[in-house]
Order: sequence, then C-alpha cells, then structure tokens
Amino acid sequence: MGITRRRITRSLMFLILCVVVVVMLFPFVFMVLTAFKSEDQYISGNGFSLDSWAELFNVLPVVQELINSTVVTAGAVVLIIVVSTTGGYAFAKLGFRGSGMVFLAILAGMMIPMQSIIIPEFVNIARVAHLNNQYLGAVLVYAALGAPFATYLMTTYYRGIPSELIEASVMDGASYWQVFRKLMLPLSIPAITTVAVLQFIQIWDDLLIGLLFLNDPQVRTITVGLAVIQTGRVVNVPALMAGSLLSALPAVVVYLIFQRNLIQGLTMGVNK
Amino acid sequence: MTTLSTATDGAARGRGRRWRASGSRLRTSQRRAGLLFAVPVIVLELLLLAVPIAQAVYFSFTRWDGISSTWVGTANYARLFSDPTFWRVIENNLLLLASIPFAILIPLLVAYLLNEHVPGWRFFRSAYFLPTAISWVVIGMVALRVFAGEGILNHVLSAFGLGFIHTDLLSGELSAMVAVAITFIWSVFGTNTIIFITGMATLDRDVYEAARVDGAGGFTTFVQITIPMLMRFIQFAFILTLITAFTALFSLIFVMTGGGPGYGTTTLEFYVYQQGFQVGVFGYAAAIGIVLFAIVFAVSLAQLRIFRSRLD
Repeated sequence: MGITRRRITRSLMFLILCVVVVVMLFPFVFMVLTAFKSEDQYISGNGFSLDSWAELFNVLPVVQELINSTVVTAGAVVLIIVVSTTGGYAFAKLGFRGSGMVFLAILAGMMIPMQSIIIPEFVNIARVAHLNNQYLGAVLVYAALGAPFATYLMTTYYRGIPSELIEASVMDGASYWQVFRKLMLPLSIPAITTVAVLQFIQIWDDLLIGLLFLNDPQVRTITVGLAVIQTGRVVNVPALMAGSLLSALPAVVVYLIFQRNLIQGLTMGVNK
Repeated sequence: MTTLSTATDGAARGRGRRWRASGSRLRTSQRRAGLLFAVPVIVLELLLLAVPIAQAVYFSFTRWDGISSTWVGTANYARLFSDPTFWRVIENNLLLLASIPFAILIPLLVAYLLNEHVPGWRFFRSAYFLPTAISWVVIGMVALRVFAGEGILNHVLSAFGLGFIHTDLLSGELSAMVAVAITFIWSVFGTNTIIFITGMATLDRDVYEAARVDGAGGFTTFVQITIPMLMRFIQFAFILTLITAFTALFSLIFVMTGGGPGYGTTTLEFYVYQQGFQVGVFGYAAAIGIVLFAIVFAVSLAQLRIFRSRLD
C-alpha cells in the first residue's frame, strides 16, 4: 500500500515536470520548426523549405551583424576580465588606503539601472567622446555595466586563495605583477570562465545599448538588427524565426557547454 | 637557563623588530601595487558609471536637449508627479510587482519536485534553465506569435475544445500587460528554479526524514519545513526578480508591444527611453530615470542587508 502510493506520487510528479517541460520548450520548438518553412507553408502548417533563410539573408546583413556582435561581445568580455581580475587581486589581496570603501562603491554600481544613466551616457559617448556608431563606445558601456558584478565575483574568489602563497612568492623575489600573472590568473581560471560566460550571454543578448550606441546598420549587432526588422513588420514570420534561431544559437551553445559555470555565477549572490 | 632564555628572547625580539621594519616597507610597496592594480576598474567605473549618475541627478533639475541645459529646479519632478501618464506607467510597474509571487511560487513548487530526483530530473533542470541563455528580443519575438489573435495560444485553446475563449491579449491595454507579465514569469522561471534547487541542496535531509517519521505529508513538509528554511533564498530570488521586472524588460516590451497599445505596456524603464529618445526631453527623462534608480536602490539596500547578515 505504502509502496503503491509512493509510486503514484512519483508518477504524478514526473507528469507535472513533463507538462512544465512542454510549456518551457514549446516556444523553441515552434521557433525551430517555423524557421524552416516558407510563408505559405507556415500558414498552411505543412512542409518545410529554406525560403525563410533566403529571405532572412535578403533583408538583413546577417553575416556583418554576426561579426559586429562577436567583436563587441568579445571586446567587452575581455575588458571586463582585465579590470575585474586586476581589481579583484587588488581588493582581495593587496589593499591600499581606502580600498575597502572603493570596493563598496564599485559594488554599489550594481544597483544602478542602465536606464537611469543612459541619457548622460549617450550624450557623453556620442557628443563628447564621438564614439557613437563605433565598436569602442558600446564596448566601454557594456564593460562598465558588467564590471561591478565581475569584480565582486573575482574579489570573492581571490579571498579564498591563501595569502601565504603570495607572501612566499614575494619573499622569493617575485614582483606583484609576476604573482598576478603566474599565480593568481592560473588559479582563477574557473572564476574567469564564470565571468566570461555570464557576460557573454548578457552582452550578446542585449538590445538597448546596441540600439542607442550602434545604430548605424554597418555596425549593428544581430540582436539589434532582429529587433529593428521585427518592429518594421514587413518581414514574414518564418524569416523572423530563422533570424531568432541564428541569433540565439551562439548563446545557447555557450550555455550548453558552460551550464555549470552559469549556475555558479548566478547563485553566487546567496551562497558565498 | 634563565639567562639563556632571556638572551634568545632578546634575539627574537630584535629579529622581530627588523622583520617588522622590512615588513612595513613590504606593506608600502604592496599598497602601491594594490592601487595600481585597482586603477583600471576605478577609472572605468568612475567615467562610465559614477559620472553619468551624477550627471543624471544634476540634469534632472534642468531643461536639457543634450547640448544646452537650463536650471529649472524641481520642475521636472513636479511635472512628473502631476503627469497622468506617469501614474499610468506606475500602474504597469505595479502589475509586474503583482506577478512576482507567481514568479516565485511556481519555481518553488517545481524545485521541490525536482529535488525528489524523479527519473530525468537533470534533463528537466537543463530544459527549464534554457531561456536564461535566450535574449529578450527572441523571447519577445516568439511570445508575440503565442499571444497574437491567430496565434498559438488560440490554436491550443481550440484544440482542447476551448475555442470560445478566443483571446487577443495584445490588443487591449490591460490584457497586453498581462501577456507581458506572463512572458516575464515564463522567462525567469528557470533562474528562480535553479536558485531554489541550490537552496534545497543545502537543507539537511535528516529534517525531512524526521518529519516523515512524524507522519507529515509532502505538502505539510513543503509548507512547514522547506519554505521557512529557504527564506534567505526566497528573499534573494524576490529581489532579483523585482530588479529584473523593473530594469530588464526593455527589449521584451520593445519587441512585443512597443509600449502599447496606448501606454498599456509602458513601464518606468520604457518611459525613460520614450521620453529621452523618442520625444527628446532629456532633462525630464533623466528625472524618470532617477525615480527608477531610487526604487531599485531601496530594494538593493534591503538585499545588501541580507548579504550583511550572511557575512556576519
């Protein structure tokens, strides 16, 4: 009796989880299936074709936009890793007068919503620094928005590395730079990976910064390109789904490979 | 013996002093290195975060077109608080706020089921978490086809013989906002589920066993043991979800509804964009941004408190 009841409960649980999977995956199944239909096939619901892809490459400079996305995302991720590892090393291990306060101030940066600073930021980048429609402008803004959390993550990670290791190396005549390069960086590869994965997905998927700072079709990212043709409402649904699939693919691949790092970074806020 | 020990003590003390002297030189060079290593992140955050937020506060007291500005005192804020559209927008934010309990409770229940490790739970977990990797633009793009008049939702309803409910959520102001909120709940589902699974992994299995021995059923253990013991994780998820709702839905709204119909789905963050970049009143938009900042700041302070209590 007890075992039967337990079996029924567990089957019920399994069933509920299956229903949730359908709800969660259905939109993606729809996206993938629709991406391989012509407009007529989409309406009738039967058959597959590659018309949508021809249409997509016709209306959107897909290759250029993928290159733009890659350059901007890679640039920003590299910059974030540089400033968050050096900064994390300084805050966790070296210290300086007022380093505690400075660290707190940088953490406070996490509380600033992008939209609250977007207007002065836009004016500064576009009209003062003249970096509008240049990769560098967007890269800097993405880096500034991503760096506070990355610095927090790296600092927490470096705090876990015993100070004796650094002191011993310094006693042996290593410079602080050498300690950083030969000891801290190799030891923190897992944390760096987490930062890179989190930031890659966030920046690749972003719309607002790209929309404002890379508005010229030549430098647009794939996410911006897609959002703009969607609002134009002239492109058929299968082509839009093909574009969605293409733009989502890199981030999904990164997700599938680095799922564990992503989860780690996400739950960092409560666990450590 | 006594003399010997005094002698060694003295020697040790002497060496200690020398050590300390070289230690302090070491300290100085360490601090200099520390400052140098911190310079990149400090400069970046100063120029692109600290300065802009200071400017945003300053310009929120001016009439500003991006080139010249005139000081107008609190006029922008006065206008904002007497602007019926602003209150309409706040209503939309409140509706998002009201959707958060669903965005917490559903993942909490599912995490509880996943934690029972029924067959395939790893696959379920990965599948639930997938939307985290997908951009809001793509999610919005698909959601649009789900909720459209001839969309998937209506097809599914008819397939189940519920065709009479035929909905066109995106055409009404309130219903469009509900559609946005549903999409939002769907999107954060995976993230919150992962947070709760992580939390449940930290719970002591013995407590469950004890409860089972005492004859408590699944639901009783869930309400009386799981939820209270996960409070810290629930708070964390709540704040994360709230900040997402108020500051990360721009792209979703941009693609799904463009803020309409009317101001039906214009939230505070979207209103900043509209007023700033579509209407072009930078000072007024800055003031809206500052209101948003104040809300997020207050919520984040609460979060910091939770952090602190954890660190102590």
